[in-house]
Amino acid sequence: MPPAEPPEPDKPGVDESGVDEPSGVDEPDVDQPDVDQPDVDREARRAGWRLMGETIRPQRWWVVTGVVAGLLWTGARVTVPLLAAGAIDNGILEGDEGTVVRYAIAIAIVGIVQAVCTGLRRYSAFRLSLRVTTNLRERLFTHLQRLHFAFHDEAQTGQLMARANSDLQQVQVVVVLLPLAAASLLTMLAVLVIILVKSLGLAVLVLVTLPFLNIAATRFTRRIQPVSLELQEELADLSGVVEESVAGVRAVKGFGAERLQAARLRHEADSVLDRALAAARLRAGFLPLVDLLPTLSLVAILWYGGHQVLNGDLELGYLVAFNSYVLMLIWPLRMMGMLLAQASRSSAAAGRVHEVLATEPAIVDVTGARTLPDGPGEIRFEGVRFSYGGVGGPPVLDGLDLVVRGGEAVALVGATGSGKTTVARLVPRFYDVDDGRVLLDGVDVRAVKVRTLRRSVGIVFEDTFLFSDSVRENIAFADPEAPLDEVERAARLAGADGFVANLPDGYDTVIGEHGFSLSGGQRQRLAIARAVLADPRVLILDDATSSVDPTKEHEIRSALREVMADRTTLIIAHRPATIALADRVVLLEGGRVVAEGRHEELLESSLRYRAVLAQAEAEADAVTAGTRADG
Amino acid sequence: MMRGGGGGGPFGAHAVEEKLSRDDARRVMRRLARLLRPRRREIGFALFLLVAQTACLLAGPALVRYGIDHGLEDGNAANLNRAAVTYLVLAFVGAALGRAVIKAVARVGETFLRDLRDRVFRHLMSLGLDFFEREPTGRLVSRMTSDIDAMQELVAMGLVMFVQNGLIFLGAVTVIFLMSWKLALFTLVVVPPVMIASRWFRRESNRAYLEVRDAIGQNLSTLQEGLAGVRVVQAFGRERAVSRRFRGTNEAQYDAHLETVRISARYFPLVEFSGVAGTALIIGIGGWFVSRDIVTVGTVAAFVLYLNNLFEPVQQLSQLYNLVQQSGAALQKLFELLDTPTSIDERPGAVDLPATGALQVEHVTFGYADGAPVLLDVSLPVMPGERVALVGPTGAGKSTLAKLVARFYDPREGRVRFGGVDLRDATLRSLRERIVVVPQEGFLFAGTVRDNIRFGNADATDDDVDAAVAALGLTERFEALAEGLDTEVRERGSRLSAGERQLVSLARAALADPTLLVLDEATSNLDPGTEQTVEHALERLMEGRTVVVIAHRLTTAARADRIAVVDDGRLAEFGTHDELLTREGRYASLYAAWVAAPTSTTSGVADLQ
Repeated sequence: MPPAEPPEPDKPGVDESGVDEPSGVDEPDVDQPDVDQPDVDREARRAGWRLMGETIRPQRWWVVTGVVAGLLWTGARVTVPLLAAGAIDNGILEGDEGTVVRYAIAIAIVGIVQAVCTGLRRYSAFRLSLRVTTNLRERLFTHLQRLHFAFHDEAQTGQLMARANSDLQQVQVVVVLLPLAAASLLTMLAVLVIILVKSLGLAVLVLVTLPFLNIAATRFTRRIQPVSLELQEELADLSGVVEESVAGVRAVKGFGAERLQAARLRHEADSVLDRALAAARLRAGFLPLVDLLPTLSLVAILWYGGHQVLNGDLELGYLVAFNSYVLMLIWPLRMMGMLLAQASRSSAAAGRVHEVLATEPAIVDVTGARTLPDGPGEIRFEGVRFSYGGVGGPPVLDGLDLVVRGGEAVALVGATGSGKTTVARLVPRFYDVDDGRVLLDGVDVRAVKVRTLRRSVGIVFEDTFLFSDSVRENIAFADPEAPLDEVERAARLAGADGFVANLPDGYDTVIGEHGFSLSGGQRQRLAIARAVLADPRVLILDDATSSVDPTKEHEIRSALREVMADRTTLIIAHRPATIALADRVVLLEGGRVVAEGRHEELLESSLRYRAVLAQAEAEADAVTAGTRADG
Repeated sequence: MMRGGGGGGPFGAHAVEEKLSRDDARRVMRRLARLLRPRRREIGFALFLLVAQTACLLAGPALVRYGIDHGLEDGNAANLNRAAVTYLVLAFVGAALGRAVIKAVARVGETFLRDLRDRVFRHLMSLGLDFFEREPTGRLVSRMTSDIDAMQELVAMGLVMFVQNGLIFLGAVTVIFLMSWKLALFTLVVVPPVMIASRWFRRESNRAYLEVRDAIGQNLSTLQEGLAGVRVVQAFGRERAVSRRFRGTNEAQYDAHLETVRISARYFPLVEFSGVAGTALIIGIGGWFVSRDIVTVGTVAAFVLYLNNLFEPVQQLSQLYNLVQQSGAALQKLFELLDTPTSIDERPGAVDLPATGALQVEHVTFGYADGAPVLLDVSLPVMPGERVALVGPTGAGKSTLAKLVARFYDPREGRVRFGGVDLRDATLRSLRERIVVVPQEGFLFAGTVRDNIRFGNADATDDDVDAAVAALGLTERFEALAEGLDTEVRERGSRLSAGERQLVSLARAALADPTLLVLDEATSNLDPGTEQTVEHALERLMEGRTVVVIAHRLTTAARADRIAVVDDGRLAEFGTHDELLTREGRYASLYAAWVAAPTSTTSGVADLQ
């Protein structure tokens, strides 16, 4: 008789990324319920199934392989006890050694079939599920890259990460389970038919006890889930006490509160103990039952089947075979309940993924979109209205008219919320205007191919984002093929060449989270270099030098003049020295232009302008004071 | 998924990697046994239950054998019934025992973990500040959390199974040998390959699993970066390139994963085949034995049934082995922590500090760990009720001096005395009662504002807290909070402003009511409204106490009775504000710089007038 089915994929153990429990630990899946996930309605679930279906379709040969292998596997598995029964009845009891040996050889051959098929069916199932999730993840990522700014403004990175990570893991589990479950259910069916055919009474006896296994497993899962959740919470509280005691150790020592904290920890540890024991009590009620129920079936087989053998209604060999069959039933029965719960969880997860994929990118090329004609880079805002919540939201730009001549450098100045950054973001068409239009060299930006538009407009964002790559790759982001001397030139124009030369590996130094960490000012200079390398027609600097140490800013300023010489530049800045780079200053307020002219003129004529600059300076001082107070 | 902390790569060190050497394992086991000795009765009882339960489990096939040989073969229905009834009874007894085992093991194991948590934390809290400055917070926290949690899992699920599977295997081998050692020898032929394969599988899958984790980590980084930087990507029109790059890490994750699938696609066929081969062997050879009357038909049937009890344990033990090893590694780390001696110990025969007295720093030399001295031969007498400000450039040693005064560290040479008693001879309790340190940032713990104030004195009643708040003139200020003193402080006090946190810290100190107050003045600017309240409260707190304050503001220094200028680890100047100004030394120049500094426009200059 073969051993009971080896650890099945509810805990695929090594095969599954997110699960590190050893497989085969005899307990049903008590995953965390999706507490923090938005409720998914039935429609979304259905969409989830459709999404899984359409992703599985190209892999259908693996489905077929898995199912066929599963069929053969089931057949082999069910045959072994039958052969053993035949060997006992026709060989051993008859004293026919030749028959016994023939049966033994037959069993071994069937064993080989079973072994090959189990390998194949597992491989197919896991390969299928991995392929499906890998493809979905790529599709999700590619789609997210195409989605418009407004979508990313709304969505939290953490939530999107969860879509691509934990949600897809749920999908993976169910896709693995489906073909494997098919084979298990088939096994169950075959076993039941054999028992039924051989002994109706025994079938009834066996069937009476075993379904309780399924019921008990479902009940147990339902009851232990809240307890293990409570246990998790208590553990979190406990680690909260540890964390704050370690982080605040100076306060603890300073006030001599070691004992107090120890008492608090003891309290939390007691709560953990209490919940852990509660979970143990539930397990103590369930786990022995898992052993008991099949054993009752075995007793029934021995007793009822034994009497049938005595009466000559059943062969002895089958009595032994039935023992094996009962063990084969345990797994499928326990798995059914689990599969249902998992299917619901997974389809909900797939539904959430589908929701993201179903979001259409808002900023796309219109039919007949053209490339941008050559031009000096003239920017023209005509009666532009815009609000972030779409039409009807609070207006950020309220009928803005603005012309920036080709080659001109204009500084946008205004208080927080005046709309300066929005102006900067409408030029490369990160958003579409609600009303009016934005023209670049006489063409409405909506009529231009997005790609060519954005290649012509270089922007340096306020919050600098650099990739965890080498300095060189970061600067050459727009054009990875750019030769080193171009990269160096861009760095020089951004005032970054000095510090880059001093980095451990120069331009090959890897920066970012896992690499060399740069100061805010250094990061900003690299971002400027990145924009410079793209050699855009229009350059937009959105507060791009705010973190640069004022004593070093003059180095950049002279370089920036060179950058700005032959292109249109929009500068959003607060520091008078930076503003002075511009040919003209535009003061924004409430989404409109309220004053414009040269910096000195405005300083003299506009009270509002002076107020805005003073306010900005005060804020900047607060920031630098904060960063300086680290000693 | 993305938990911070931990050491190692971007996604932390993996427990699977941490293996114990044989010697370490033995040492850990011995120490664990010592720790468990007080519970040996309970453990013995649990073990007894487990053995009894296993015996019930293993009785099944033997009863089937009896039923076949003495019931069916002999045509004796009474014997068959006897076997069936015994089987039934043992099944229920086994279930009852199983229940008792789980409860007993949980009681022993979970209580052990509770005590371990308690003990480790208490030890942690008793360690000197040097330890906390040396060890990263994340690592210390993970000792108390992930390391003990690893054991929690073992206690909850693994331990019973580990022991039980071992017992089942040994029991089954014993029983089949007793039934027929000849057939047993043939049967056991199939066990070694499964053992070897399981070992191979465990190793290979661990290795592959680590690669999967790395690949997932890489892929998540790319994913995260792609999302965080999506605006830059779109601004430069690089969507396709970035997506291509993601495909690379995504496929790498797939490949790493598939490798684990390949490994198990090799292992499971072998295990299943061994099982069937075992059946074939038992049937073939058993049948041959039956015809020679070496064994009975019942024995062959029993062997077929026992086969399951030989295979499953081998597989399960192999998988549980990881869990056990992780727990061993975790225990070792905990023992290491418990073995770390505390630098600030209470001497035997320590005495209580007197209620009042002068603070005397006498010829103190000090350096961190084996580093160069930070303080060199510093002497500083502070009279009862006197207020002394420590000033000097960053890194001069002011903070270190303050830490020595509160005995966060012991001096290398010289001594610190309070009321004539060397701090090293004082009881820690009296030390912390007399001398309280108010740190620079008001650190808040989970709980209400009131809980946080009570932190200064755990025995204080609500009235005491109210009185302490009132003494600083803060009653109204705290009442203005959403729920007054009962406002819950969340996330390290993010609901309170920096100034309010500082106020809680001051109220804490007022409640502690120390004789000597060591203050580290906040450097960051507070909002103007709170700034004044803090100033007033601080003034009231300092009233009537001896105060050593690390001054970052000119005003604080100027208001002190005497000023100690610390420079380069030495006490450069010591005297009143006026004395030091006329001396035209370091303080005078510091003072001049202070007045001239642009950030002082708001606070410094205004206070001078």
